This record gives sequence, C-alpha cells and structure tokens, in this order.
Amino acid sequence: MNKTILFEEHLKLNAKMVPFAGFEMPVQYTSVKDEAIAVRNNVGVFDVSHMGEFFVEGPGAHDFVDFLITNDFKNAALNKAVYSPLCRENGTVIDDLIAYKLKSDQALICVNAANIQKDWDWISQHTEKFNCTLTNQSNDYGLLAIQGPNSTKLIQDIGIKLDENFEYYSADYNTFEDNEIIIARTGYTGEDGFEVFCKNEKMATLWNKVLAAGATPCGLASRDVLRLEVCYPLYGHELSDEWTPLDAALKWTVKLNKDSFIGKQALSEYNPKLRLIKLKLEKGIPREGYPILDANEKEIGKVTSGTMSVALGSGVCLGLVQRDQFPEDKKFFVSIRNKKYEAIYCTKPFVTGGHK
Amino acid sequence: MSYNTPNTLKYTKEHEWVSIENDIALVGITDFAQSQLGDIVFIELPEVGSDVKQGGSFGVVESIKSVSDLYSPLDGEVTEVNNQLEDEPELCNNSPYDSWIIKIKLSNSSQIDELLDSSSYENLCQ
Repeated sequence: MNKTILFEEHLKLNAKMVPFAGFEMPVQYTSVKDEAIAVRNNVGVFDVSHMGEFFVEGPGAHDFVDFLITNDFKNAALNKAVYSPLCRENGTVIDDLIAYKLKSDQALICVNAANIQKDWDWISQHTEKFNCTLTNQSNDYGLLAIQGPNSTKLIQDIGIKLDENFEYYSADYNTFEDNEIIIARTGYTGEDGFEVFCKNEKMATLWNKVLAAGATPCGLASRDVLRLEVCYPLYGHELSDEWTPLDAALKWTVKLNKDSFIGKQALSEYNPKLRLIKLKLEKGIPREGYPILDANEKEIGKVTSGTMSVALGSGVCLGLVQRDQFPEDKKFFVSIRNKKYEAIYCTKPFVTGGHK
Repeated sequence: MSYNTPNTLKYTKEHEWVSIENDIALVGITDFAQSQLGDIVFIELPEVGSDVKQGGSFGVVESIKSVSDLYSPLDGEVTEVNNQLEDEPELCNNSPYDSWIIKIKLSNSSQIDELLDSSSYENLCQ
C-alpha cells in the first residue's frame, strides 16, 4: 500500500485511515459533517497527494495536450487550467483530469490516483508526433486542496502572494517559504479554493502551516459529500471505461470544432445511450448501485453516487438512466432495500458553491 | 481511544447492547459502534409485531457515507420501536445507551447466556 508524504501527520491527528486507489488515505478526522461544514462556511484542507502529476515540456507541449483531451487546451490563456475527459479513439473515457497551462512551453496534467498507470501508458504512447517530453512526477509532488470561502485569506496568511487577477481556474508558479510551488484556483468542492502542488520535502511544513492558520483537516468522505452536493462527476462512478463523456452530461467538455483530438470522430457520430440525472429524496438515502425506477416501477437506471447531503440534510444522488427510457413526466423513484422512495428530479446542482 | 461499556448491560459481537427486564430486551448500538459509524443520519426501524431471529437483520443504520445492518441479539417479537430515532437518529451518537432502538419480547430466554458481558465486549473492541 502506498502512503502519501503526510501519512505520519494524519496519524498524529488520529485520522481514520482507509485504503483508496492503492494509497492509505485519511477518510475522516473528526466528523464528516463538521468537515463538510468547515469547507462550506470557512476553510478546510485535504491531502490529495495521491493524485498523479505528469509534466509535458517543449515547444509542442500545448498542442500535445490539446490533441490528448476533448476540451480546448490550445485556446486557453496562459496560466489557466482546463478540466477535461481523456478519451480513447472510440470515445470511451480513460480518466478525467485538469490540465494546467503553466508556461508557453509547459503543461501540467493532474490525474486521478487510481488511473495513474493507465493514463501514463496511454499518454506516453502518443508523444512521438509532438515536439515535447513527458515525465511522471507523481512521486515527487504532494498536493493540498485548500477549500472554502476563507481560503484566499488563509493562502495570504501563510505568506503566499496572489495576483489580484488570479481568478477561478488560474494556475501559476509561486513560492512558499522560498520554495517553488504551483498554485491553482481549482478544487473539487464547488467552493472558492486553491490546489497547491509542492515538492515532498516541504509538504509537512506547508500542511502544518495551513492547519495553524485555521484550516480544518478534511478527509475523503467529506470531499465526496462536497463534490456530490455540487454534482461533480467522479471517475469510476459517473465516468468509466465503458461510456463516453456524452453519456455523463459532459458535452460542454467535448469541443467537436477542434482540429483534431483523440476520439473526435467517434464522439461526432455517437448518440449517447445514457443520461446523467440528479435526484433529491425527501426520505431515504440513495447509495451507489440502487435501482432508479420510473412511475411504472420499471428499472431505468442505477444510482452512480449517493449520500446524505450535509448542507441539505436530505438524500441526494447522481444516476445514469437509459436515455430512451427517460420518463417524460420526470417522475423518478429510488429503490432502497426493495422499498421505493420518491425522488425529485433536479436540473441544477443540489448546492451552489461559492466559487466565482 | 476508550469506549464506554456499562457493566450492567450485555453485548453482541455485532456491537449491539442489550438490557433485559423480565422477558423484554431493549436493544441499541454501543458507544464503539456509534464512534465507528460517525454521524448517524438515518435508522430504518422494523414493524412492531414482526419476528426477529438471533443474528438476523432487523433494521439498518446509516451514517453519511455508510449503510450497516442492525442484528438482533435474541429471538422474539418486536413489541415497540423508538420512533424518536426517525427524526433524531443522532441520539444514537450523543447517548447510545439511552437510545434503545427496539424492544423484543423474548421467545427463547436461554439465548441470554450467549451474550457477552462488558469485559468480554471491551476485549473485542481493542
């Protein structure tokens, strides 16, 4: 089992540790509820050092990333981040990632921990036509997500200087105590927040400084609740090797007008078979795998992620249903232990995060 | 971490506590159980009048991120359920030993001998 560089720090805080994506990770420190509330109302910090970092360098770096991903990287401004699926030729999803345009000849790709090897095998196969080099620096970098309405103040309190125009989805090199870091105004909670890539040597110092400045340490459980409340997809749940981004409400990340990218042809011709829906329950808590029923009690899909929402105090879920069986009356039920519970079809995320 | 395990109660390996008065057993979840579960947000109670079997599931307790079965410590009939827990499941976190979940009218009182005493249960939680 892998450990992040902060493993000992988590033990000191009596975190409950669980295996996740091959790493021993903190799932919670005190209470999932308190941790989620801290992020929505104040500021929380997550150790997400398990995630993978690939650097692409050289004159062809931007073109290469643009060719790999379905979203538009080429036209993104320098020092911006782009969220995108990574697809095969047939349009199925290998992973979802954030690509950071750090320099005119450099990009950083941050990928899901569970997919580091799979992504590396795929991405490294495709470099030849591009004038760039690819390195996997996942073992050299740690990553902290500092999230919540007071995250900007915290970042400044620990001595990191931010440009005034460092808005949502900006990314750049910076310094923390004279050490080079990469900071991005990105996250997975829907709140304003930052992700800080820092070399392993300085991670414990950074972590403890962030805690001392008032951030609540938050584990994977609250992270999952927070992302689900704002309806962000999670690979292995809403996204998988079997389906395309178009099956999972990610049409906005597939830019078919781009010159060329892997999967372009398949995705141009594809009629999605599934539809990602958001459901809220007055009673009962939907969980992954529970059947989604229509008004005639016919199973039309399954819950892909479900939880009790801390912000709403009710059960919420994302689910994939057969597109041709999507009920016109928009009446849905979730079957929980063979009992059906009415579910409200939602067109907007359950919670509106505070990011701008 | 140390957990509260009153020596006046009996326990199961599945982390339920049992308090027996004549032929009625009160059943709840232990301090250890509530601590492991974290914030309890939902408890599914059985119907009054339903039969329960020793080791059989009689309900469900859900935390924000998990679903766990509740297991009956003894055979019998459910005579009462604690409806207050439907609205305030967090009572099982705040005061697990005051928050009984069901009352069972025992049909086989010899099973009581199979329950754990507090010291055996404490060893189990080490």
